[in-house]
This record gives sequence, structure tokens and C-alpha cells, in this order.
Amino acid sequence: MDLTPRTNDESSVASKKKRRWIPIVMVVAAMSAGGVVVTKFLTSAIDYYCNVDEVGSRAGCEGDRRLRVQGIVEEGSVQQQDGGTSFVMVFNLEKIKVVYAGDPGGVFQECIPVVAHGRVVDGTFESDRIEVKHSNSYVEKNKTRLDTANEEAAACSVLEG
Amino acid sequence: MTPNSGTGTSATRRLGVLVIVLVISLALFGLQFSAEDVVQGSTVRIMYVHVPSIWTAYIAFFLTAVCSGVYLSRRQRSLAWDRVAGASAEIGVLFVAVSLVTGSLWGRLTWGTYWVWDARLTSTAFLFITYVGYLAVRRLDGTHRQRARRSSVMALLAVLEIPLVHFSVNLWRSLHQDASVADPNAKVKLDGLMLFSLFLGLVTFTLLFVWLVLHRQRTMLLEDSFADRGLDVAIAERRNEAGVQ
Repeated sequence: MDLTPRTNDESSVASKKKRRWIPIVMVVAAMSAGGVVVTKFLTSAIDYYCNVDEVGSRAGCEGDRRLRVQGIVEEGSVQQQDGGTSFVMVFNLEKIKVVYAGDPGGVFQECIPVVAHGRVVDGTFESDRIEVKHSNSYVEKNKTRLDTANEEAAACSVLEG
Repeated sequence: MTPNSGTGTSATRRLGVLVIVLVISLALFGLQFSAEDVVQGSTVRIMYVHVPSIWTAYIAFFLTAVCSGVYLSRRQRSLAWDRVAGASAEIGVLFVAVSLVTGSLWGRLTWGTYWVWDARLTSTAFLFITYVGYLAVRRLDGTHRQRARRSSVMALLAVLEIPLVHFSVNLWRSLHQDASVADPNAKVKLDGLMLFSLFLGLVTFTLLFVWLVLHRQRTMLLEDSFADRGLDVAIAERRNEAGVQ
């Protein structure tokens, strides 16, 4: 016995068929989106992620290839002129000069960890993208200036290695 | 509960009132009472929504997996477990979306970019897509039991992504800060009311999730009942047509 609900309304039948396809389309779209996300991640991973002290010494961190280099912005090293920014990035006592054609944005400042994308040219890291990292420490702004200054100085020296 | 009744009970109404009070409290603590961060300024306030939303999503997907496991393991498989699993996943997807949006805004203000294809962000996006796929699988044609069986298996596989997302910042070098709230070894420092506001956010979002799941799984029961009633009517019509009593 056919138990399919009867209807003479053709538009209703068409609508039900359409509704039946929507979940299938959604499953295919989700699988495609997942593939795109994984591909993007793997493509991004081609730029090797290195610390400053690993540039030129660790396998994959050769200076002649495109890299992502992370380190701390050295205190007193930030210079901004002609719309560009230069600073010294330090990690485990190793340093590298970074030049970037623009304002890094975010909460970029001295003593903060950053990730610079680019390549080494004549000993200087020429970056076309700067990302600012942030630690798990959240300090109240209205604490006494002395406390804050001491903490920032300590944090900078610890981070620099 | 009969199919004609609503989805609220006196308990859910009380819970709803408590959630409203907590949301107002969270807004006050997050926006007014807690201080600005010395580096991020007011941007830090996004944390009170961003962290609780992904925390709640983890709980939601874990609950989906547990209910799916119970459904598959019991001899008499009750569809109530499947409905709670589905409701929990729907709300989990909503909270992951909130986490992705708030994280993106926070990233623009602190990192200087809305999005990077790093391990934490990519794995979270993949988690979101996986559970959107799970919801799509639940809508595929079939009986309630077919739906429950398919989606339960998928839920048990999808939940394995959560440890990958959470510990991605430890497994790969990442722009995202390390795991904090759910990592006892993390060196987390949250001054004054910042920690309290974050804790309040976790409690508020968790109770909001419970309230939403209770209502949504009851809505799903009504939907299933409605679908079953439609089938009963079709059977009765065919029986009448064939002259079968």
C-alpha cells in the first residue's frame, strides 16, 4: 500500500523536492568549505614559522626563503618615517632589524611579541605583513604607574630571553 | 508534555529570569566595573563574550557526543537522547559563530588583522563547518531513527576535533595566545575584576545554553510529533480509500 500523502498541488510537490535537496547541498557545501579551510591552512604553513634566533640556523628557516618570524619588539628601537616602520626584533638574545612599509596596526608597541611575514635581504628582514601577539596577561590600566612600569620592564626583559 | 503544550515550565521560566539577571550583571561588570587593560585598553572587554562563547560551544558539542553515545548504546533507543544531541549541536554552532565573529573583531584591534590561517583559528573554523555539516545530515531524508543513527555516529567522530582545537596553540606555533581558562598549567594573569567578569561570563553563557537546549529539544519533540501525526493522517486516508478498517 502506498502511504505517500496525496496531493494534487504540483507546486507543493516541487517545493518538497526542493526541500529534499537543500540538506544534500548543505552537506556538500560544508565538505567543500572544510576542504578550502584545510587547504588555506596548509598553504599558509608553507611560510615557515621561526623564532629570531632560528633564522639561518634551523632547517626550514633559511634566510633566502619566505618566512614568518616571531620575536619581541626591542625597547627604544621603533622608528617611523615616510609612512614606514622599522624596529629591532629580539628573541633569545638574537636580534634582527625589521622594515615594514606601513603602520603595523593593532596594539603594536615596544616590548610586545610580533610575527613578521617576509624574507631576509642583506641582513634585514623586509616584511610585508606584521601581526601583533598578545600574552595571557591582562593588567589593569589604573594601577599605580610604578607597578605598571616595573611590570612592563620585567616583562620586556623576560620576553627578550 | 503533550504535543499541544508550549515549551516552557515553571523551572525554565525561573532559569530564564536568572539568565536575564546574569546577562545584565555581565554587561555591567564587563563594560563598566572591570578596568581597561594596560595594553589593549577597552578592547579587552571582548574577552568576556569571546571566551565564554567558545567554552559553551565545547560543552554543547561534548553533550551532543554523550547523548549520541547513550542513544547508540541503549537497547531501547530513546529519541529523546537524539533530540537533546541535536538541540545542543544547534546551539553549539551558534556559540562558535559568536566566538569566531568576536575573535575576528578582537584580532583586528590587537593583532592588526581580522583573520590569519593559523592553527587555532583554522581548527575553530573547521569545527564550525563540521557541525554545520552535522546539522545538514540531521535534515537528510529518512525516519527519525535513521536521522538519529546517522547523526549519532557523526557526533561521536566530530567531538574528537575539540581537543585538537583547544590544544592547537600548544601543538603548533600560533598567533593566538595559549590556552588559558581550561589549562591549569597556563600562566594566566587577570587583574582585579577582570577574572571575576570572565568567570561571570562563563556561568552566564553556560546557564543560557542550558535554557536554550531545554526549549529547543522540546520544540524538536513538537516537530517530530507533528511529522508523525502527518504520517498517521496519510495512513488513515489510504486505509479509508482501500476500504480497510
